[in-house]
Amino acid sequence: MTNGLVLALIGAALAALLAGIGSAKGVSLVGEAASGVVSVDPSKFSKVLLLELLPGTQGLYGLIAAMFILIKTNVLSGNAADLTVQQGLAFLAASLPIAVVGLISGIMQGRTAAAGVSITAKKPDHNGKAIIMAAMVETYAILALLISVLMILNIAV
Amino acid sequence: MAKLKMKKIELIAMLTDSKKIIELLQRRGVVEISRNDDEELENTNVTAVVGEFDKFRNTAVQALDIIDNYAPEKASITDMFSGKTEVEKHEFGREAMQMEKVMSAANEIIKNQRLITDSANSISQLEIKCDMLQRWLPLDVPLNFKGTATTSAYIGTLPYQITAESLEDQLPDNCSVEVVSGSKEQTNLFILCSKSSYDEAGDVLRRLAFVSASEPESHTPLELISMYEQEISDLEKGTDEAKENIEKLAENRKELRFVIDYLQMRKEKYDALSGLGFTESTFVLTGYIPEKYCEQLRKEIEAKYTASITFTDPTDDDDVPVLLENSSFSSPVEGITKMYALPGKGDVDPTPVMSFFYYLFFGMMLSDAGYGLLMLIGTTIALKKFKLETSMRKTLTMFRNCGISTIFWGALFGSWFGDIAQVVARNFFDKEIGSLALWFEPLTDPVKLLLVSFGLGILHLLLGVAVSFKMTWDTGKKLDAIFDALPIYLIVIGVAPIGAGMFISVPSALTNAGLYMLIAGVVILVLTAGRTSKSVFGKFFGGLYALYNTATGYLGDILSYSRLLALGLATGSIASVINLIGTMPENKVFKLILLIIVFVVGHTANLAINLLGAYVHTDRLQFVELFSKFYTGGGREFTPLTVNTKYIKFKEENTND
Repeated sequence: MTNGLVLALIGAALAALLAGIGSAKGVSLVGEAASGVVSVDPSKFSKVLLLELLPGTQGLYGLIAAMFILIKTNVLSGNAADLTVQQGLAFLAASLPIAVVGLISGIMQGRTAAAGVSITAKKPDHNGKAIIMAAMVETYAILALLISVLMILNIAV
Repeated sequence: MAKLKMKKIELIAMLTDSKKIIELLQRRGVVEISRNDDEELENTNVTAVVGEFDKFRNTAVQALDIIDNYAPEKASITDMFSGKTEVEKHEFGREAMQMEKVMSAANEIIKNQRLITDSANSISQLEIKCDMLQRWLPLDVPLNFKGTATTSAYIGTLPYQITAESLEDQLPDNCSVEVVSGSKEQTNLFILCSKSSYDEAGDVLRRLAFVSASEPESHTPLELISMYEQEISDLEKGTDEAKENIEKLAENRKELRFVIDYLQMRKEKYDALSGLGFTESTFVLTGYIPEKYCEQLRKEIEAKYTASITFTDPTDDDDVPVLLENSSFSSPVEGITKMYALPGKGDVDPTPVMSFFYYLFFGMMLSDAGYGLLMLIGTTIALKKFKLETSMRKTLTMFRNCGISTIFWGALFGSWFGDIAQVVARNFFDKEIGSLALWFEPLTDPVKLLLVSFGLGILHLLLGVAVSFKMTWDTGKKLDAIFDALPIYLIVIGVAPIGAGMFISVPSALTNAGLYMLIAGVVILVLTAGRTSKSVFGKFFGGLYALYNTATGYLGDILSYSRLLALGLATGSIASVINLIGTMPENKVFKLILLIIVFVVGHTANLAINLLGAYVHTDRLQFVELFSKFYTGGGREFTPLTVNTKYIKFKEENTND
């Protein structure tokens, strides 16, 4: 195993790790707010569940980027490529957008969605607006994922 | 196809017919009644009647809640979709006739419920008393025992631990102390003194912080406990009986629902009456009605009643309500429009504008033919099988159409539950079947799909600008319409080939043409965008500012469509990962078992989360990128007087009853 491969694996780990932490934190923020609403009116469960799921996507994006690195470096098929240090660093750099943006946007989206829970509590018919507001935050995670994936796919191995 | 044209209705008829006419309007559900504001006409006060209906309805609702609590109906997933019970109109009348019987059942249910809560309170109080008495259990005299002819007794508690001997030392000589029970925090004592030293002992005890036991009953603790336990079991029996009663009364569930709906209808009818204006023998009703129902309603009412009906066009000052009507292709996405805001006074209905792109983008984001197939099958079954409310039906139809679009894109990209076909062929039959894509696989050429996304995005945006152009044109400001729309078209279309040239090779003729269009667009924009400003400086800087806004705004908008690619990639790659996990083991039997489990669980989860993602982000593309070009919203929903029932709906709707 070369140093380059280790760097690439660190990149994959960062993507899954940081974006996952962001999502976990975001989902838990919404979950706490949502539980309060459900304790008063259990019938709102499905509506607040939608909101709670929103910040969960960053973790998935991190997973996707990590998977792309693993596939591209042939780690999954068992005969890992001998990457140079430059190539390894390239993978590490490519993982950074989704890792960092995933972490922060996951938490921020969680906060927006948690605030949206109060819309669902008071005006359940306007639930959709809360969802849209939270979805705005996700835009930047999507952009980051896009850049990460485009970078990973275009690194020559 | 869009906003329905509304007419103002004014109906004058005989007072004696008022209730019947209101009932008719309620059943037709096409008229929204405005409150009478003509001061020369009398209003009627219905507060008392409506209050009465509300009171009865609340009782029935409360009773229904209790029944649902103690004898819940077995609910299944089909019930969720099954909608309201259909009844014939005459049957509804019959049900309503039994109101007295149903209301007495409702009161009975509430009484039983009250009994249960009261018993529960008493039981918990008795249990506390029993706990207290446990400490005094060894005592074989009542707690209020005062002594015999020659002796006096103190029964009570010291708030610390003490032995009989040490207390006896402090008390006068002829006192005997018995510790009934004790703990670290307190000692429960029975102290017997001769009559003569009673007061002296009392003084000593007071100093030691002695508290006498208070108990009015002349029974020993043992007797008391068994009495209380008897009482508790009686109460519990009563509770069980009350619960049984409620369960028995639960057979009134259906009738209660009828009564709730019946009272709701009556209440709304009287509310409507309060909006009318009255003279001595006639009444006046004003309101809004969609134009297409006008003649039908006029015929129906004039055939039966003496009435004068006039329809007029609303003026600009009127707060006209909005009702949408669209083709069967567009109407399913009306719910999305409503979620944003209904069209306001100057707006067009954005539903037909966005419907095609809604389906298109949704399919592109989910982009797996297998998932699309599941959506199509699921929604088709639901639509066929269940009696649904209109809004639910529309939503399901929308998802069905989105499902079809998802199959289309999935087939183009060759994604059927990810790459399950290839995975199965490779692992179990040792064959490579290659790509199933009718067009290309996004993973092999993401840049191509990115450009396709931007291209569709540009079409979507230009559609929005075109609608805005048409709206301005129709108001007569034709030059404004041209100067607003033309530069944007020139700039966006001109930039497209130049932008694409950064990723792929574009013929230089195209980029050159693009460059000229871009320059022309920029020049027109800078020269005309500041036209409302008075000074020359204002015009010039207004133009520059508009250029900056257009450049940043449209660039951001177009880049935002990259989510079409990103979400599509997300679905596909997670699906592939699921299939990959399923084929980890070497042994083929294990592999098969694991694959089946992982396939079902994994793809269900992936479908759920990406369905949510596709839905949310399609909405966003419509609301933020498209609506911002031409749509303000802020209309008021048309809320006709109608049969607003929760549990039942009428089967008939024939016009000649």
